[in-house]
Amino acid sequence: MSDKPKTESVPPSAPAPQVTRDAGDLSAAKTLIEVKDFDFFYGQKQALFDINLEIPEKLVTAFIGPSGCGKSTLLRCLNRMNDLVDVARIGRGSINIHGVDINSKDVDVIELRKRVGMVFQKSNPFPKSIYENITYGLKIRGIHKKSYLDEVVERSLRGAALWDEVKDRLHDSALGMSGGQQQRLCIARAIAVEPEIILMDEPCSALDPIATAQIEELIDELKTDYTIVIVTHNMQQATRVSDKTAFFYLGKLIEFDETARLFSNPDNKQTEDYITGRFG
Amino acid sequence: MAEKLSQSSFTAESIQKKSGGFLGVDKSTLIKGLFGGNALVAIIVLALITFFLFREGVEFFPQYQHDMSLYRKSGQELAGLLKAEMDEYNELQKELEAVQVVLATETLEEIEGKEWPDENAKWAAYGEKTAAFQNYAESIRSASGPLKDVVEKVRDHTREMKEVVVVQETRKQITGIDLSTLMDEEEAEKLLLGSRQQVKDLMPEIVEAHKAFRENLTLVLASPPKVETEGGKEGLEDFQKEAEKFLEKIPGFERKLEKYDAEKPFTIWKALGGFLMGTEWITASSWQDYYGIWPLLSGSLMVTGVALFFAIPMGVFAAIYVNQIANSKEQNFIKPFIEFISAIPSVVIGFFGVVVFGELIRVWSQAGLEPPDIPVIGSVLGFFSNILNGIALRLDFFPISERLNAFTAGGLLALMAVPTIFTLAEDAMNNVPKAFTEASEAMGATRWQTIWRIQIPTALSGIISAILLGLGRVIGETMVVLLCAGNRIAVPEFKGAGTVFEPVHTMTGIIAQEMGEVVPESIHYRALFCVGIVLFFLSLLINYVAQIIVRRYQIANG
Ligand SMILES: Nc1ncnc2c1ncn2[C@@H]1O[C@H](COP(=O)(O)OP(=O)(O)O)[C@@H](O)[C@H]1O
Ligand SMILES: [Mg+2]
Repeated sequence: MSDKPKTESVPPSAPAPQVTRDAGDLSAAKTLIEVKDFDFFYGQKQALFDINLEIPEKLVTAFIGPSGCGKSTLLRCLNRMNDLVDVARIGRGSINIHGVDINSKDVDVIELRKRVGMVFQKSNPFPKSIYENITYGLKIRGIHKKSYLDEVVERSLRGAALWDEVKDRLHDSALGMSGGQQQRLCIARAIAVEPEIILMDEPCSALDPIATAQIEELIDELKTDYTIVIVTHNMQQATRVSDKTAFFYLGKLIEFDETARLFSNPDNKQTEDYITGRFG
Repeated sequence: MAEKLSQSSFTAESIQKKSGGFLGVDKSTLIKGLFGGNALVAIIVLALITFFLFREGVEFFPQYQHDMSLYRKSGQELAGLLKAEMDEYNELQKELEAVQVVLATETLEEIEGKEWPDENAKWAAYGEKTAAFQNYAESIRSASGPLKDVVEKVRDHTREMKEVVVVQETRKQITGIDLSTLMDEEEAEKLLLGSRQQVKDLMPEIVEAHKAFRENLTLVLASPPKVETEGGKEGLEDFQKEAEKFLEKIPGFERKLEKYDAEKPFTIWKALGGFLMGTEWITASSWQDYYGIWPLLSGSLMVTGVALFFAIPMGVFAAIYVNQIANSKEQNFIKPFIEFISAIPSVVIGFFGVVVFGELIRVWSQAGLEPPDIPVIGSVLGFFSNILNGIALRLDFFPISERLNAFTAGGLLALMAVPTIFTLAEDAMNNVPKAFTEASEAMGATRWQTIWRIQIPTALSGIISAILLGLGRVIGETMVVLLCAGNRIAVPEFKGAGTVFEPVHTMTGIIAQEMGEVVPESIHYRALFCVGIVLFFLSLLINYVAQIIVRRYQIANG
């Protein structure tokens, strides 16, 4: 955690968004995930209030906001990871992907998670070999053909910019890798099953600046093929990697806009306070 | 306290160590000593136990060597070979007697069913019908006659001679006896030499008698009597087969006699081998004592095997269930329940085994289980007892005759091992980082896939060490085996799965049972210590392996 650069917030005078896309391109993007009137509870405690959000396809959407504002909660709702939490429940509203309500009874959560992969804050490769980590998602689907697995391992590792570093030790334990490598392995593991969407929950928060830069570069490459939703604590990171940014505060979505606009010219006072570092 | 609370000024004196404490030793040293001392006591006690075990046990081997040397030097060992052969033949004759009984009963039944003019005629007919078999039995008995005579001669003589030496040696140890009235070593050697010489002299006679025995037996077996009744015929056929087998073994006995050499010294290694490989544990015998550990070790291993056979699946599956599947209400119910089992005193479990469990299995194996005559419960139990009785019919080693056997003891020990295995295995699974299971589920794995492919492999070494510690618990348990294992000191005869229903004795059991009765420092006393040493090392080994596995597991999980 402590490896992250200390200059977190963007100075008020120089928001300097490094996003290169032009606005016309962004507004033409198709909506993939649609969150509607969404309330979410942990037991009696409401964690999300009336969220309305449309996440575009094949772009990077960042969730920002102070700690505890519900970013992870919403992210975990997108592939129903909150099913594992006993007390968690949806109060109201829906989440649609491709127009399908993912919380409907007919939806097989296993199939959903196959299409919506996830990368966690703390890298969590299995205590197995690199090769087995990548092939895990295929094996649990009953795919055991060696030649196919080999192919997927190479493709995924190349996709995660890791192939050259580990190609000679595919059968070594994944726990022997560096933190940044482990996180990229987790990304490789997620893309091995060819999802449409990749959710990332503060994927760089435990990494040093060099490893962080590598992951950010990777995200930029991945967005040609995948829709990416990333939670980040680091506003510079949001400006570097994302096309759209959602700002949350106390469980509410305060503002959602193109990243460039949100950081340069926020509509909301709270957003402005947050991105200029006046609180958070 | 007279001390000032106000900050004193910074002087060399004010920051000096206060000279508190006890007898000039300062406080932190005292506290360190208190805690360290307790750890030290544990280590010292362990060292003392080890030392004591060895000091008392190691003497066994020279004593056993001496004992067995006398056995050999006196010629008694050779007599023992012949005795073993005769014992086997006697067993064979017992079988024949059993056939005779069957035949007599059947013949009588047949005769009673007919009309007879008078009693005499009836008995005459009976005599006629059984005469051939009587003759046959008589021939079998007398076939070994000459050999038996000479064997008895050798046996009694050698035993007497050895006894003389042993008694002299024993008396030597009693203080206050005039040593000059006792035999010295030279005299004893001479006596033994004489004894063994006499056996040597008898050798030609023995060989001759052996030959005659073999010829006689061959002859008798060649012409079995005609038997008319059903059971008699069958019994006779079986007997003939057994007898043929015995006949084939006789050359083996003869060869052993030829090879026998009373002059060969009985080395200490042989004594060690006799203990570690010996299949007989015979004490206070009028012939010769043997201290072989296998009857006890095999019993311990069998009981342990049975216990683990039940305890491993029960403990591990329960741990998986509680850790992975049960909701918190179930967890709160099951966990204390299983952990409570370990609080039951073992003597109570043993008592339950004798009175309920063992008896139930015996009744089941012999007559089938009868459900109690209670309206609803009875019919429910009836359903289960029908299933069980169906199973019993298919077990070819049923019925069993002994209520107390390795299975009874093992079944109850399983109960005692389950809490250990359950608790430790559950801990191991708890220690699997949540991140692993979360990652697996996020990949779209089902609950079972996550359990099977991530949870269990990651916790595996912990589960294995849980099993090993359960094993340690079982192998050291005494009370239950003493009460329930049947305490028969013999290596069980192997007969498939039915072997587990044989009564056995165990290493722990024998120590508990015999230690109170033996004469201190006698060879028997020392033999028990040797059994203790074996047990000690076995437990040490198990714990050591468990620790190694746990250590490896901690490294694997980072
Ligand atoms: N498993 C849980 N059980 C109960 N409350 C939770 C759980 N996870 C998160 N919360 C609560 O929900 C709120 C939002 O948490 P989270 O989504 O993790 O915030 P963020 O990721 O923005 O820091 C917090 O107040 C947190 O305490
Ligand atoms: Mg979070």
